[in-house]
Order: sequence, then structure tokens, then C-alpha cells
Amino acid sequence: MAQLGELLTPADLKKISNLQVLARLVVEGFCTGLHRSPHKGFSVEFKQHRQYVHGDEIRHLDWRVFGKTDRFYIREYEEETNLRATILLDASGSMAYGGPENSKLKYATRLAASLAYLMLQQQDSVGLVTFDTEVRRYIPARSQTSHLKVLVNELQGTQTGGETELAKVFHDLVPRIHRRGLLIVLSDCFGDVQNLLTALAHLRHAHHEIMIFQIWDPDELTFPFRQWTRFDCLEIGGKKHLIDPNHLRSAYLANLERFRADLKQGCHRHRIDLVPLTTDRPYSEALAEYLTLRMRR
Amino acid sequence: MEFLNAVLLAGMAAVTIPVVIHLFHRSRFRIVNWGAMHLLESVLRKNTRRLKLEQLILLLLRCAIPVFLAICMARPVITGLEPLLGNAKSSTVLVLDNSYSMEAGGPGRTNFQEAREAARQIVDQQVQGSDVALVSMAGGASAGAEPTFDLDRARGELSRSRSGFGTALAYDSLRAAQATASKMHHAHREIVVLSDFQKVSWGEEGGLPGATRARLADELARGPVKPTVTFFRVGREITDNVSMEQPTFSRMILGVGQKLVVHANLKNHGDQSYPDLRVVLKVDGRERSVAQTSLDPHAHAQVLFTHAFDTAGSHVVELMADADPLTADNGWLASIPVWDRVPVLLVSGDPNPEPLRGETDFIEIALRPFGAAKVELADLITTSTIEARDLDQKRLAEARVVLLANVPQLNEAQLKALDAFVREGGGLLIFPGNRINSAWYNTTLAADGRGLLPLPVVSLAGSMNQAGTQSSIVAQHFEHPALEMFNDPRNGNLSDAQIWLWYKMRAELGRNADPTLTVLARLDTGDPLLVEKQFGEGRVIQAAIPCDADWSNLPMRPFYLPLMQQLVTYLASKVHPSRNVDVGRPLVAFLPLADAGKKALFTDPDGRATEVVVANRGTRGMVEFTQTDRPGLYVLDAPGGNRIHFVANTDRKESDLRQLDPGELQAVAKAMGATVVTSWAEYRQMDQKRRYGQEVWQMLLVGVLGFIFLEMLLEQFFARRRT
Repeated sequence: MAQLGELLTPADLKKISNLQVLARLVVEGFCTGLHRSPHKGFSVEFKQHRQYVHGDEIRHLDWRVFGKTDRFYIREYEEETNLRATILLDASGSMAYGGPENSKLKYATRLAASLAYLMLQQQDSVGLVTFDTEVRRYIPARSQTSHLKVLVNELQGTQTGGETELAKVFHDLVPRIHRRGLLIVLSDCFGDVQNLLTALAHLRHAHHEIMIFQIWDPDELTFPFRQWTRFDCLEIGGKKHLIDPNHLRSAYLANLERFRADLKQGCHRHRIDLVPLTTDRPYSEALAEYLTLRMRR
Repeated sequence: MEFLNAVLLAGMAAVTIPVVIHLFHRSRFRIVNWGAMHLLESVLRKNTRRLKLEQLILLLLRCAIPVFLAICMARPVITGLEPLLGNAKSSTVLVLDNSYSMEAGGPGRTNFQEAREAARQIVDQQVQGSDVALVSMAGGASAGAEPTFDLDRARGELSRSRSGFGTALAYDSLRAAQATASKMHHAHREIVVLSDFQKVSWGEEGGLPGATRARLADELARGPVKPTVTFFRVGREITDNVSMEQPTFSRMILGVGQKLVVHANLKNHGDQSYPDLRVVLKVDGRERSVAQTSLDPHAHAQVLFTHAFDTAGSHVVELMADADPLTADNGWLASIPVWDRVPVLLVSGDPNPEPLRGETDFIEIALRPFGAAKVELADLITTSTIEARDLDQKRLAEARVVLLANVPQLNEAQLKALDAFVREGGGLLIFPGNRINSAWYNTTLAADGRGLLPLPVVSLAGSMNQAGTQSSIVAQHFEHPALEMFNDPRNGNLSDAQIWLWYKMRAELGRNADPTLTVLARLDTGDPLLVEKQFGEGRVIQAAIPCDADWSNLPMRPFYLPLMQQLVTYLASKVHPSRNVDVGRPLVAFLPLADAGKKALFTDPDGRATEVVVANRGTRGMVEFTQTDRPGLYVLDAPGGNRIHFVANTDRKESDLRQLDPGELQAVAKAMGATVVTSWAEYRQMDQKRRYGQEVWQMLLVGVLGFIFLEMLLEQFFARRRT
């Protein structure tokens, strides 16, 4: 069994523990009405006191305890939510780009682990779906802490496979995920945009909240190749093109922009959060960015 | 097309560089396992064909750049079909127009100076070892043109050359240039004509009509190597010019106190009008008379001067017009000898001691009336009378005119001496009479037209007694200078005289008639009275009647004296050898026999003195000077201290300064296969092209830069289109 430490470096974990604070803020925001919470009707229950440390907000001090003991304590609350999150991890061939260590899939699995950890920490249920042309593995959502191991094992074992076929997979998933919840898609979203958007609309129709982390390799965004290059297709064996990238760079980048703009527009239309991520960005930062975004809704 | 650095053409192999680079890059591709294939493929689908076309265009351009660069560096030279001379030595004949028209020109610099400067530049640019010859177009110096390898010497010759000579002879000078060129040494021979190309020398109506051009072109093409001919036009055209044309002198020799009448002829060649043109007569350098005249554009004018010389000797008369800056043709010089006396030898065939009974008595009085009247006034003519038997060479040497009056016949020696006397310029006046041996006259003295007697005598006509048979002189308009004065009735009427007996002469006209024969006056019967014949350098006048009063009453008439004076001075005024010659003709003077072997000194118009030894010509000495190409005054200082002036004049064709227009010049050049240039820069460019061809590397370099620029532009354009 893979160790958790293999997926989350200590630095990452440290960042994530900070993010847990933020996650709590989301709930608090919901309570105070300062922010719109996506999780309406959640109850908030006192969990424990803990010693005040420098940096904690003063308004969370329990003055009663201070009055009794002359010490500062912070009141901590325990959230109880009905959030069911399912992580949809794309394991298609195109996710292998970037080499064995820095592939988009690797990045996506780490991100998925982080999210799972975070959610389980927050007592949410987390499920996992890995797919390429079709659903490979479906782990239903659970909220036990031990569930993390199941998820991590699955993530660790995931390898890239065939062609991306998001639309088909999403259509297939609709009947399998009965309960309304949050779907977190980790994919490069390659393929026909219209088909993808149709499938996403289908999911939205089933009252799922959808969030897409679109994983990019920096090479795919900048097309930095200078010399003659043979591009071998990662998804379909035998498909290859020998070209001088210099002549095609601008056309490629223009095509890329169009693709991204179409996708962004479509997601916006369906109220889907689309977060483009590049594999050179620390995924913990990307996670933080997501939670900030999530908190605002 | 030739290449100066043909080796560098190998650089064209660089054409392979872009191809090799292309193939090299293609072969060293890297492999990328690519995920976003759907993004790439849609781009490829749209662009592949266009990309290939663009790449092909760019590849061709990139291949063209090294090719053109290699050709450019190989320095291609366009040569036409001629081989290039390079730095080969050449033989050049410079034909320099040194006629006086070349003294016209811009301010500060005459056309001749410009031509000379251009010629010097041509000499300067000759490759060491080339030979150069200088031929003058005027002044006859062309004959002496010798090629030289010493370019310094050629420069020296050029700097010494001068203008101011007579008509530029295009045909002669080009022939001389061709002859000189054929003697020269190098394979490339060139004739450069530096001239103002006046119409008078080069035009169709001037010195070079079409047929002559063709002949000249033929002659230039003859010879072992055909020279290339270049017409180098120098200076600029000035048409305003006034010239002093040849004046008319009433006589070219005269006595002290006699009146010389000079008609100065002026011609305006230009468009400028001269309302107050000042014309001066100078005698021996001193201004003697001034006249003013007006001269309209393209008009002629005549100015009359008279002058009487008060001293004997050789005098120089100069006419000068204060006109345009081209002074060479504004004046005219003439050498006029003035005699203090004219010695006349009277040979009487019928002497008589009684007054007025001798054959020559009347004429002696008529020739020296003052002497006969024993008055103080001096006669111009001095006479000495001898009998026929006393006539000899010694007597003849002292006389200028000999008069044979009724001389029956002469012996052989006398005839020979008389023949020589007339042949060398002496005058002979023959009067017949009752004593002449007409057979001897007709056979020996006339000698079928080869002898001294102009016409044989046939028979006597008229009668001493019979009334109505006498004749008289026809009063006509006399053309002859000796009788010109009788055109004025105030000087007497020749028809007054009655002539009873006269000799008929054989019909003077006919197919075989002597062209020098002139009838001065006729009788009313139609018979000639006075007949003149040119004999050698001298003249003979034959009369049909005696000079005494035997057969006519001529001596009794008032005109007898002037008539005889006129005839004698006319015969005496034949100056031989001539003091006024055309340029190029030799100057000859007879000197006393005692001077033979001594040195005489000729000074030419430039002030250069030349010593000439007096030659012995039997009865007298003679000097000759042949270097008279330059117009102007020549002075002979004889060993005896005597000074004689000569003038060499040139005709005034050169004064018409109109030049060939560019079209005409091209036509002349075309006819002779010549090239026309008008400046040193143009000549140099032509010479460079001939030697080294026309280099085109600049154009190719521009082409290369153009290709590079185009390649950049296209690349950017294509890149922009791809987005």
C-alpha cells in the first residue's frame, strides 16, 4: 500500500492544514451570512477548545473561558455537511504527457489525493471515478477517514490508457451517481468541446455541481519546440506527424486559444467552474485558489 | 560575359547550403509523445499544402541568394562580343585640331587648350609601354608625326603644340593618322580626334562629303590592324565671329609715292550686329588710317584705304578689325615691296641719232618724262637703251623689264638669256616694226606656243596711204589691270589714235590656245592690239604696232605716256618669287650672287629664327624657307643687311565657326565607324568599358540584397498568414 507521504509532501500537508482553516471559514461565512455558502442548511456544532496561537482571529476567543481561567482559548466548531464529492480522474493517454514523473496524470492524482484528504478532514464524503474511454473504476463516496486509504490506493495504481472520451463517460455516469453532489473533474478536457459541453449539461441536469480542473502541461500552452519534431500520438498508436514546429506555432496557439475560449464560454453558460492548471504550478496553490473561489460562491 | 574572379563562381555550390540545412534539420528531429493531438491535427489539416508552397518559395529564394552572391563576387563583366583589353598596351594617335577656330571658346580657356588638356589626360592614362603619336589637323605638321614610347616626350610635344593654323583638314589628317597608326606597334590601335568639328571641315558641304567619308572609312579599315576611331568633341560652339577676308590690293609692288588702293573685305558670320566697326590700316606696325563701318549679321562690308609709301624697301601692310575675341581672323597681312626705281632695258632694232627718229625715242620720253624734261622730280622708271647686238645676260640682270622695239632677230645666246630672264619673273614688251624677221619671230620666238612670243605674226594689214583702211583701238571696258585706268575717260581715250599699219596675228583662240594668253586691247578690225602671255614666272606683252610714230599716231596722243607707264609698271610689278604665299608654301628670295654661301636668317611669326645658307643659282644666290605652316609674318635678314618681309596667309573658311550638330556628328561617326564623346569623363568611361568591360556586380549585389529583403518580408508575411 502506498504511503500517504508519497503523494503529499510535508510542505504540501502544511499548506493543506492552512487550507482547512479556510474551509472552516467557508462554513462560518455561511453562518454569518457574509458570504453565500453552497451548502445551505448545514448545522454547526461545537467541537473543542484549543489554545490561542498568534494569528488567530480575536473574535473567535472564548471570553467566558478567559474569564474563568485567565487564558485565551479559541472555540472550534465541527461542521456537519451533507456534501458528497466525487472526483472524476481522467486517465486517458493524453494525460501521460510530461514524462513519467511530471505527467499531467501524476499531477492530477496528487491533486485528487489532496482534495480527498481535505474533504475527508472536513467530514465530507468523497468518491472516485477513474476513466479513459470508459469508466475504469468507480469508488462510491464515503466519509470515513479510513476511506482515504482506499482512494489513495486506487489513485496510486492508476495508469494512463486509451483515448479521451469525456462526453461518453459523463453520460454513463449520470445514472450511476444517484445523489446530488459535487463532481470534481480532473482532466485535460481534450476532444470535441460541443460533445463535452452536452455531457456536462447532462450532469448539471442531474443537479450536480461541477468543477473542472483542466490540467495543462506548459508545453501544450506555449508550444516551445524549435527543431524538427515528430509528434507521436499518446492515445492512438502509430499516429505521428513530422513537422517544423516553428511554422505551425502561431497557428497552433491560435487554435488553442479558440479551444480554451469555447470551453470557458460553455462552462460559464452551464455555471460550471473551470480552473485551468498547469503542471508547473504547485498543486497545493491550485487547491488554495480553488477553495478561495469556492468560498465566494 | 566574362568573370574577373571566375574562381569565386565555385561559390555557387553554396546553393546546396539551404537544401543541406533543410535536410539536416529534418533528419535530426526529436520525438515528442504528444497529447494535444486534436489541436495540432486541425492546424495541420488546414496548413500543410500552403506550408509546402511557402517553403518551396522560401527555399528557392534562399538558394538564389548564394548563387547571386557567388556570381556577384566573381565580378561578371559584360563585354558584348569584343575581347577585353585589360591592361594591354596600346598605340594611340592623337589627332589635334590646331586650326585657328580652336582659339574660340569659353572665358579663360580656349577650345584648343581644352583639347590639349584632354589629350594630355589620354596620354597620362596610357599603360607604360604604350606608344603615342600626335597628328595636327592643320598646318601640315601631320607628315612629321612620329610615334613615341616616351610618354613624357609626348606630353612635351603636346605642351608645345599651338593653335592658330589654317583650315583643319579632316580627310588628310585622318589619313595621316591611319598611316601613323599602321606604323605603330601594339595590337590595339586607336585614333582619337580632338576637334570642335566645324561644318567647314567635317560637314557634308564642307571638307568631308559623303563620298569622301566612305573613302576615308575604307582607308581606315585598310592596313594590318583596323584602328578604333573616337571623335572627342571639345569646347562649345560660338557663332559670333567677324573675319577679315582676303583684301584686294591694287598692286602687289609699287614705286615710292605711288598710290596703293586696298579694299578690306569684312564678313560677319554671326547674328550679332556691329554698327561701329573700327577697321585700321597699319603700315610697318604703325597705324596709318582708320575707318568705321557697320556690319549687319551675316553681311559683307568693304572698306577702302589708300596709301602711298614714302620710302623704298620691303613694307608690311596690315588690316585689322576691332571685332570679336577670336583675333586670329580679324586681320590680314601683306608684304608690299616698294621700289625706288624700275630699271627698263630698251633694245632698239632701229637706232637713229636724230631726235625722235630712233625706234625707242618716244617711249624713252614716255617712261621717264621728268628726266627727259630735265626737271628735279624723280622718275620711277629708269631706262637704258642698247642695240640688239649688245643684249646679253649682264644687261638683263640689271633690268626688270626689257623692251624689244623693232628688233629684227636675236642670236641663240641672247634668246636663251632672255628666255631665262622672263622665266624667272622678268617682264618683256615686244613691239614689231618694219625690220623684224617675221620668219624668225614665228618659228624661233613663238616656237609653236612654247616660245616667248605670245602669237605668231601673219601679215601686215592696213595701208599707209590708202584712206579708209586705217584702224583704231576699240573703246571697251578694260578688265586688265594695266589698262584699267582708261575706263575713266578723264585719263584719255584710247580710241583717239589712228593706226595705219599693223601686224595681224594668228587667230589666238582655238582648242589648243594657251590658257595664259590674254588679249588686252583690240583694233576695231577685230585684230588683237596687245596680247599678254604668262611665261614661267614672268609675263610677255606683244603689240601689233611699233612704239614709234611710224605706223600710227599713238605717240602723239596724250594717253601714250600713261599707257606705256602702265604697261611697264604692270610687267615690273610681277613679284617673283611671291612675298605673299599660302601657308605651307615655301618662301624664296633671290639675293646677289656675292651672298651665295653666306647665312641668311628667317624669323617666323612665333619669333623663332632659323639660319638658311644662300644657295648659288648661277647668276644669283637664292634662299628658301619651307616651314611656313603658321600664318603670319616671316622676316628674312639677308647677309647684306637687306630685310625682306614675307607673309603666309590662310583662307578664311575656318572663320565660319558653326559646328556639326550632334545628329550630324553622329552621322559622320557612323559612316566612319567612330564613337563620339564630349568630355574626358565620357571618354574615360568608354575606355574603361573597353578595357575592363562593364561590371554588373553592383546590380547583382542589389539583387542579392533584394532577395534577402524579399525573403524576410515573405517569411513574415507567411507567418502572419498562418495565425
